[in-house]
Amino acid sequence: MKFIETLFQQLNTWGLPVLLLIVGILESMFGLYNKRNDRNEFILDLLSFAIPKVLFPPVLAYFSLKFLPVLLPAWRNMFSWVPFFWGVVIIAVADDLTQYWNHRLHHQVPFLWRFHRTHHSAPYMGVAVYFRNNLIHVLLFSQVYLVATLAYLGLGYPALFVAGMKSLIVAAAHSSIPWDKPMYRIKWLHPVAWVLERFISTPATHHAHHAVTSDDDVGYYKGNFGNMFFIWDIIFGTGLITRKYPEEYGISHYEKDEWYAQFLWPLLKSKAPDSELSAGGPMVRMDDEPAIPAAPAEEAGV
Amino acid sequence: MKLERPVWRKLIQDGIISLFLYALPVLLMFLYFCMRGEHPWRQQEGKGIITISK
Repeated sequence: MKFIETLFQQLNTWGLPVLLLIVGILESMFGLYNKRNDRNEFILDLLSFAIPKVLFPPVLAYFSLKFLPVLLPAWRNMFSWVPFFWGVVIIAVADDLTQYWNHRLHHQVPFLWRFHRTHHSAPYMGVAVYFRNNLIHVLLFSQVYLVATLAYLGLGYPALFVAGMKSLIVAAAHSSIPWDKPMYRIKWLHPVAWVLERFISTPATHHAHHAVTSDDDVGYYKGNFGNMFFIWDIIFGTGLITRKYPEEYGISHYEKDEWYAQFLWPLLKSKAPDSELSAGGPMVRMDDEPAIPAAPAEEAGV
Repeated sequence: MKLERPVWRKLIQDGIISLFLYALPVLLMFLYFCMRGEHPWRQQEGKGIITISK
C-alpha cells in the first residue's frame, strides 16, 4: 500500500511529466508527428508543457493553504471517513463528468470555443497535444482545483489515485502510438476492445475528436468529448465509436496563428486576418469548404 | 453568434441527467453501508472538537 501511495504521489508530481516527456520524444524520433510540427507549433507545445509546471505550484499552494481554509473553514477532512474504494468511485465520476461538461461546453457554446481552440489547432496528434492548451484556459478551468478541494475535504488519496489514472488514460488517448490497433486486429481481443472503447477514451475515438472533418464517418470533432471515460458520450448521444484513424488532424481553416496568440489569447491577439484569435475576428469560423474540382466540360469552357 | 435553441435544450436535458449521475455513486455508497449496518461517518463526529478540561 505504501508503494502504491508513493507511486501515485510521484506520478502526480514529477513522475507523469517525465514519463510523458520521454513518450513525446519517442513519438517525435519515430516521426509520428507526420512532419507537420514546425517551429511555431514546437514553441507552443513546449510552453504549454513547461509554463503550467512553473505557475501552478504557487497558485495551488495559495488555493489549498489560504483560499480553501477561509472559504470552507469547517470542512477540512470532513469526508476522511469515506473508504478508499468509494472515494475513488465518487471522485472518478465527479471529476470526469465535470470535465466532460467543461469540454463539451467549450465546443458547443460559441463564446468558450476560442479558449479551447489552441488544443485543437495542432495538425498532428501525440502526447504534446495532451498538454497543448491556452494558458488562460488552463489557469481558469483546470481540474486540479477540484482535486485540491477534494484533498482538503479529506479525500486526498482517492483524488491522487484518480488524477494519476486519468492522466495516464487521457495522455494515452492523445498519443500517436496506436496501442488500440492490435485489439481490433486480433479476433480473441474483440470483446475486450468492444468494452474498452465504450468505457474509456481510446486513441481511435479521441483522435476522431481531433479530426479536421466530421463528415467521413471516422472524424467526429462534434462529439467524443469524454476525457477518461467515454461512457458519458454513450449516455448523452455525443459519441462516435470508430476503429479507423483520421486522415488529417486540426482545424480546416487553421491560419497558423502565432504561438504567443494561441498561448495567451485574449491577452495577445493573432495577426492572421479572419482568424478566430485576431482582433475583430469571428467568434467561431465555419469549416472551410473542400475545393470542388471543376468538371472537365466546364474547364474546357463548353 | 448565439447558442441555437435545440442545442440549448439538449444541454439542459443532459445537465439534469448529470445531476443523477453525480449522485449515483454517493447513493450507492450509503446503500452499501445501510445494508451492512455500518455508520462510518459517526466515527468522524467528535473529531476536530477541542475539549478543554481543568
